[in-house]
Amino acid sequence: MARICFYFQLHQPYRLRDYTVFDLGQKSSYFEEADTDLNRQIFRKVAHKSYLPMLGLLLELTKTHPEFVFSLSCSGIFLEQAQSYEPGVIALLQDLVETGQVELLAETYYHSLASLYSPAEFRSQVLQHERLVETLFGIKPSIFRNTELIYSNQIATLVTEMGYEAMLTEAVDRCLHGRSRTQVFSSSRPANLPLLLKHAQLSDDIAFRFSNKQWEEHPLTAEKYVHWVDSYWENDLLNLFMDFETFGEHQWSDTGIFDFFRHMVSKHLENKNSFVRPSDVIENLELYAELPIYDVPDPISWADIDRDLTAWRGNTLQDDSLRLIYSLEEKILSTQDEALITDWRRLQTSDHFYYMCVKWAADGDVHKYFSPYDSPFAAYNRFTTIVADLQDRLAEVKI
Amino acid sequence: MVGWEYPPHNSGGLGVACEGMTQALAEQSTQIYFTLPYRFSQKLGHMKVITCQTTSEFLEAPPFHAYSQVLPCQRKLTSADLEDFSNLPQSEIEQRVNQYASQVLSQGQKLRNGYDLVHAHDWMSFPAAMKLQQKLHKPFIAHVHSTEFDRIPSGHGSHYIAHTEYMGLRQADKVIAVSHFTKKILMEKYFVDEKKIEVIHNGVSPVASLGEVPRFASRRPVIVFMGRLTAQKGAEYFLQLAKAVLRSIPDALFVVAGSGDQYHSLLFKNADQQLSASVLFTGFLRDHQKDVLLSRADVFVMPSLSEPFGLVALEAAQRGTPVIVSKNSGVREILKSAPEADFWDIEVMTNQIKSLLQDQNYRQQVIEGQNHDLENSTWGNAATQIKKVYDQVKKS
Repeated sequence: MARICFYFQLHQPYRLRDYTVFDLGQKSSYFEEADTDLNRQIFRKVAHKSYLPMLGLLLELTKTHPEFVFSLSCSGIFLEQAQSYEPGVIALLQDLVETGQVELLAETYYHSLASLYSPAEFRSQVLQHERLVETLFGIKPSIFRNTELIYSNQIATLVTEMGYEAMLTEAVDRCLHGRSRTQVFSSSRPANLPLLLKHAQLSDDIAFRFSNKQWEEHPLTAEKYVHWVDSYWENDLLNLFMDFETFGEHQWSDTGIFDFFRHMVSKHLENKNSFVRPSDVIENLELYAELPIYDVPDPISWADIDRDLTAWRGNTLQDDSLRLIYSLEEKILSTQDEALITDWRRLQTSDHFYYMCVKWAADGDVHKYFSPYDSPFAAYNRFTTIVADLQDRLAEVKI
Repeated sequence: MVGWEYPPHNSGGLGVACEGMTQALAEQSTQIYFTLPYRFSQKLGHMKVITCQTTSEFLEAPPFHAYSQVLPCQRKLTSADLEDFSNLPQSEIEQRVNQYASQVLSQGQKLRNGYDLVHAHDWMSFPAAMKLQQKLHKPFIAHVHSTEFDRIPSGHGSHYIAHTEYMGLRQADKVIAVSHFTKKILMEKYFVDEKKIEVIHNGVSPVASLGEVPRFASRRPVIVFMGRLTAQKGAEYFLQLAKAVLRSIPDALFVVAGSGDQYHSLLFKNADQQLSASVLFTGFLRDHQKDVLLSRADVFVMPSLSEPFGLVALEAAQRGTPVIVSKNSGVREILKSAPEADFWDIEVMTNQIKSLLQDQNYRQQVIEGQNHDLENSTWGNAATQIKKVYDQVKKS
């Protein structure tokens, strides 16, 4: 008898071209952009495996079940690539938004880590994203989700100052102190921003474990899943947050993931349960002051086992790359050179730093799956070579 | 001639030197049988290559790389063919070298009337040469391109390898060292009789023009390191040097070309010292890219801890690039006009780089001097000297 709040993330980075020292100063592009390039290939492959069929299924479900609602967040560079590589994805998103059953969330345009490095840059990217969403879909998001659900008290303050009504993040045990994750929390004072915390277990049952034959619950049926959901109380809020690519890409179509989802939605509604969007949750809140406080002095995220930032920073390769890119902020922006600024911002996309992660253990496999490089060292070499060129272009503009 | 590697399957200087040397010797009417421990399918006009391997295997590259180079090969090879010898168990290295020695002996016996002497290159070939010397009474010339003391500067190298070097050098009728620097090591560390050693510098093959190549990073001074990323080559000192130079020349760009066992630790050090966009790593470069980088470099630095010769410094000089050479190198004996420094002396090297970048007269003077130094550095000259050594051992 619980409420389910779905949020699916849509994002694709601009992967870097095979750029070497011999390209320095040659005015060659940093990103795979040609007609036959890697970014297009990957985008189209994922579109056909996941974006198009799943968006189609969601549209179908909104039609058959007017009570079915959910939320989506699309990075700006995802939307850009969809426009150039697979415009059908944009059309489907527009159809979905038109049903009124979908809520679009706010985020940074470049899927960046700016919230950790530069409040001003963070705000610029969030506003840039807001403008694109407004242009494409005619709506202005009121709920915020940060890159990889990265969150801290300080970020909550930034987000509150920008006027957002709530924010999504991860439920991390070391911050929950035994409290239930199925309630709405508030950020630490004075921000008092309502927070929706991801239910990792139920989310990852779908996102990661669904097709795992070693898992004792395999195969996961809609009946079984809804039975688990039914074990919660009426007021419990189950935030099921996951990558959109779960459907069709991480879990291939032949695993039955699409059928599972379709049936799960029907079964959940048959059992007199409901779906909610983040803004529905906020609307029904009585008094913010009574919400329990989720105190997060050190940033958390939804990644890896530790739910911290070590996927993107912490080793010196990542840290120095991040230092470099943000050290250029003032000079780059002062040039007002659009091409230069755009390249700089595309280089802020979190994926570039994720590829440099050298953590071993289980998480390393996940990283390897997502990386276009042979090794984190290759990712570092390519990134830093490109930054060297960016610095040169910056020096040239100033002359 | 007992070899171990030959282009294109060479791990570095040894194969290149064998190529230049045998070509020049052949031009001076020397007939050469050249043995290799793997199948060499290419036909060479200037000498006859003899494959010496046990019939059970068909290797297309040396059984292991003598100098632990991480070598990208152009041909299709099975991974087992390219084992780095430092990863092989000691017994396997011994076994490989002994198998080679037996095969060379049996081939050498068949040809016993076809050659006058045995010329063997570095320790891997010494056991074979010693066998031919003992069984067939052929004079044995040991040619030293590199010693275990160079490769493992800490002194904790392989006992087996050092011992093989020692035995070979003791048995040899004559020893050729690639530099006076190496001669000194042979005398001090291997107790070789000075009179037995002849110093013959390697030559360098003339280079072809690169043609029109876009000049990358044209706005910045480019300082290049090229070599295996091992303790021997001193890449760590290159990073320290970069840090020091950047204090006064912040737009200097440092390029590290090469791969090796220090690769990862160097990258971490680089990032840790906030040098990420100032020192760039290219990985192993070959052929055209290698030449383009050497040619583009405004300064080439070779901070080796111990460098018997140092061909790459000559190659950089051939491209008109001023070179800073380690005092612990053989190549400084040739490039007398190139500034030299102790590999650890960051201050001296920093000042040398600054002068080369900022003082055009000095720079020009170094380049012209290097060009002059290179004039006599031909394989033809080396071959003439080698033939003198041949004559000596034949007479005695």
